[in-house]
Amino acid sequence: MATPLALDLAVAGIAVGSAAALSGIGLVVCYRATGVLNLAQGAVAMVTAYALRETVVVWHWPRPLAIACCLLLFAPGLGVLMDVAVFRRLQRRNAGTAETLVAGLGVFVLLVGGAALLWGLTPLGDAPVLVPATPLVAPGGLRVTLDTVVELGTVLVLAAGVGAVNRWTRFGTTLRAVVDNRRLAELAGLDADEVSSVGWAFGAFTAGLTGVLLAPGLRLDPYGLPLLVMETMAVAVAAGLRSLPLTVVVALALGVAQSELTALHPAGGNQALLQAVSANLFVLALVAAALLPGRLASAATTQTMPLPGDRPHSALVRRVLLTACAVMLLGPLALRGVDLRSLLPGPALALVLLSLVVVTGYGGQISLGQAGYAGLGALLTGALAGGAVPGVPPLPAPLALPLAVLVAAPFGLLVGWPAIRRRGLTLALTTFAVGTAMSRLVFQQPVLTSGLRLDRTGAWGNDRVFYAVELVLLGVALLLVRALHEGRIGRALGAMRDHEPAAYASGVDVPRLKLLAFTAGAAFAALGGGLLGLGAQAFDPNAFDPILGLLWFAAVVVFGAGSASGAVLAAVALTTLDAATTAGVSAAAIGVLALLRGRFTSPTATRGQPQTRPQPQSQPQPLPERPAEAAEVRLSPLGRRLASQRHGSSR
Amino acid sequence: MAVEIALSQARVRYGPLEALHGVDLGIPAGRRTMLLGRNGAGRSTVLHALAGTEPLSGGQVLWYGGEADARDITGLGAYRRARLGLTLVPAERAVFPSLSVADHLSWLDDAARDAALDLFPELRRLLGRSAGTLSGGEQQMVALAAALAGPSRLLLLDELGRGLAAPVVARVHGALAAAVAAGRTVVLAEQVLPSGPAAPDLVYVLHRGSVVFAGEPGELEGTGISAG
Amino acid sequence: MSPRGARGAQLSAHGLVRRFGGVIALDGVSLEVPPGRITALTGPNGAGKSTLFRCLSGAERPDAGQVLLDGRDITRLPEHTRARLGLARTFQQIAVFPGLSVADNLRVGAEQAGRRPSKEADAPVARTLRLLGLDQLADLPAADLPTGTLRLVELGRALAADPGVLLLDEPAAGLDRDETERLVLLLTALAGDGLAVLLVEHDRELVDRIADSVHTMAAGRLTDGEGSRAHGR
Repeated sequence: MATPLALDLAVAGIAVGSAAALSGIGLVVCYRATGVLNLAQGAVAMVTAYALRETVVVWHWPRPLAIACCLLLFAPGLGVLMDVAVFRRLQRRNAGTAETLVAGLGVFVLLVGGAALLWGLTPLGDAPVLVPATPLVAPGGLRVTLDTVVELGTVLVLAAGVGAVNRWTRFGTTLRAVVDNRRLAELAGLDADEVSSVGWAFGAFTAGLTGVLLAPGLRLDPYGLPLLVMETMAVAVAAGLRSLPLTVVVALALGVAQSELTALHPAGGNQALLQAVSANLFVLALVAAALLPGRLASAATTQTMPLPGDRPHSALVRRVLLTACAVMLLGPLALRGVDLRSLLPGPALALVLLSLVVVTGYGGQISLGQAGYAGLGALLTGALAGGAVPGVPPLPAPLALPLAVLVAAPFGLLVGWPAIRRRGLTLALTTFAVGTAMSRLVFQQPVLTSGLRLDRTGAWGNDRVFYAVELVLLGVALLLVRALHEGRIGRALGAMRDHEPAAYASGVDVPRLKLLAFTAGAAFAALGGGLLGLGAQAFDPNAFDPILGLLWFAAVVVFGAGSASGAVLAAVALTTLDAATTAGVSAAAIGVLALLRGRFTSPTATRGQPQTRPQPQSQPQPLPERPAEAAEVRLSPLGRRLASQRHGSSR
Repeated sequence: MAVEIALSQARVRYGPLEALHGVDLGIPAGRRTMLLGRNGAGRSTVLHALAGTEPLSGGQVLWYGGEADARDITGLGAYRRARLGLTLVPAERAVFPSLSVADHLSWLDDAARDAALDLFPELRRLLGRSAGTLSGGEQQMVALAAALAGPSRLLLLDELGRGLAAPVVARVHGALAAAVAAGRTVVLAEQVLPSGPAAPDLVYVLHRGSVVFAGEPGELEGTGISAG
Repeated sequence: MSPRGARGAQLSAHGLVRRFGGVIALDGVSLEVPPGRITALTGPNGAGKSTLFRCLSGAERPDAGQVLLDGRDITRLPEHTRARLGLARTFQQIAVFPGLSVADNLRVGAEQAGRRPSKEADAPVARTLRLLGLDQLADLPAADLPTGTLRLVELGRALAADPGVLLLDEPAAGLDRDETERLVLLLTALAGDGLAVLLVEHDRELVDRIADSVHTMAAGRLTDGEGSRAHGR
């Protein structure tokens, strides 16, 4: 072993970095060609990895054929399908960031749910290996394996290939024209949709490649791989979603750094921290990239539009929805014990989703990290009840829960503060990154989750009583939210959601209001999370997985983020589906609904959608009429001829 | 008289603002038509509505293309309209900044490229430069060269003189006269009515998103309708 | 014409300078917007009108110079604080809150900029709805209304706060001929009630008809002295 350990570790890091670089290249190319950051990249990677395993392990196809089919047909085909079925429509009517985001999440959730349905949640350890880890002899005795060489080679070839196509081919000229100015490209007769399709196909191809490369190294399940690939968004975001060389460099640097950190062994408690950092370097990079100003300059300038369909329902619809909610929530009280237990999470989840109604539905702030606050609520409740907080005696659960909510609420500032100057995609990434960091650096650290106590004693030990307590708390929260919504603050939130600059101009203290919204959101989510934990009588980090956070966001939007009943309905639907069917059905259903939603809701005229204008005559005349002194339309003989020839008596 | 393209009761909305309030206008084929009006009157919006880069919120776009029968192209995308034979040179951002001058002309055939460079010999020495590094006037020449030398039968030019020296503008008007003589249709959007050889055959005056005058330039005098 | 008890205020700018990179957008601009009059700002695209407007409203901070409201220095105050001091503005691209009803749009102005508790906001909201003829639309969502009506909703949001100064960025943009005429009548009446009105407007003809004084901007400076004219009122 002539080489120092550091060099060997660097080589090992390059393998991870290469996979991240592949994914990053795809994200950047797709974003440049389409203007959409593909949030479903990780899901495409996962599905492709499953497809390869299915063809090789189950169907016994020859490996080269299976690889070719999965990578060159299946994945790109999926990308084109996403474009044609979902994103092209949105682009054509200039849909806002929020809507595109929801569509991307819809695809994501649908693919994750579909995979869970088809292949179950059991992790599979037999994903086929693409390139064997044959040891190679390298100069200086460096330990290099074939797979690392091939992966790095692929990254470099792809990056160089994209660069070459971009610069020297006719398609490259078209691509650059579309990236420069899509509208002008169309005026020049260039088919921008075709460019988008190629972008989606290429992005999905790299996603698939990333997936099949990463799958053998971990056990394949519907949640793990997508999240891992989503973390690699860090490299694309760090490169400003523009530069391919920068993407590759950042990816390799992070991979190597992650690997090198494992060699450090500081004394004392720092060891655990260092391990957590090194294992989650990509998550931290994503937080940093989302928080650094100017990284996403182009994306950040897009004005977020409120989600269409968030307007209050009509009175009748409201009454029907409220009745449905009441029946679904009160029904379980009459059920047998076993059935009641599987529905215990309903009201708790409703509280978590209610936090999204406050933050996103009322305040217009996209938040993909509410699962983090829910987890925080559960963790703090358990810590306070278990006496794990130094200096605080173990508290009974009914005391620990409200205290946990009070402690968790200020953590809302973690995203509330960045949200003051961020919106749209940047805010979505920031909230997702913070939520993921909480999950990885807190919930999954044994040091922090030991000594928790979430078992219910006394009256709360009875499921029926506990369910009633949940209902009461949900009822109180609903009353609070309603008072908030219908009062002065609610109107100010609506103003901020609908038009931020005009809210400032109307005297709304927007920064303070954002902090308030995120703090209130954190409190509601923490309350719901604490109840989820107490319901299950254990702290399970997977119950607050960041991927679930995405599912919850999509669910609330689907059922109507604009009203509290939407949150309750979404929670009841998710819990009932999960209890009554197999895993994946609820996710797939939410995904389908999210995609259908983008297809059928027609945005209002104020959002740039062509629409027939109401006839002004049918409106009351707002101001006193002044006799029309305006000049009559004057037509020359030629003008009259032209006008009458074409438009009959319209003049 | 044959019509090239027409708007019928066209409405365009930018968010809450309606920029065109039901505009009727017909563009005669093989003639030079001018849209006049001050800023915000709706000139550029009319051109974009014709070219398909602004969707209508009401009304129709009708394409004749020299035929007697109209074809409703209201729902047709901009690039499909471009392939029908319609070219718009917008007033702002009319070139692709990262493409070279040669790239801009690469969509033309060889003869057309030579014609473009004959019209603007200034561009010969700039062929390798990326358009983003050119001056405003040079950018305008690139955009006009690609449009004029291209095969389109209908040219929509928004403030074509922007950034150009007077002799160059005169040269462009000469080329436009030749194009019209060859049967092509030209629509210009300007703030003021030019005189002399640059004068159009037909004038539309727009005011606050409506047509307030349509006729020959001579008729405009004495009507009290001013464009500038 | 209206029972509004508007108190006018005096808005002044002294030597405003604003640079973007190497480009000077405002080059020492001083301007007075007196109560009871319509002051107009006109000039070609890129002259700096919008930058001046934004420095006055608080959406942007000048690099040098002062903005005074009734003699009080408000240069460093953020836009929402200025709004609470009685400085109201509208947007060139009409800015309403489509998720709120017409009445609630006005109520946001009355409650936030007008600093009133919810109950006391009823009166100014009702008064402003009446003034603008929006009573019958009060409970409709402020979306899908015609451009002219949306402009009135936006103006109502500004007026419901009982401002002393009204800053209008191309208020006639997107309006047809009749709607413009009605706007002219309304603005003239508001100034007659004592409000200070600043109007940024391209349309020289419109400006000449309604403004008491007209300032022309070019290349970041005011190019004329005060072109005051008698206005038949």
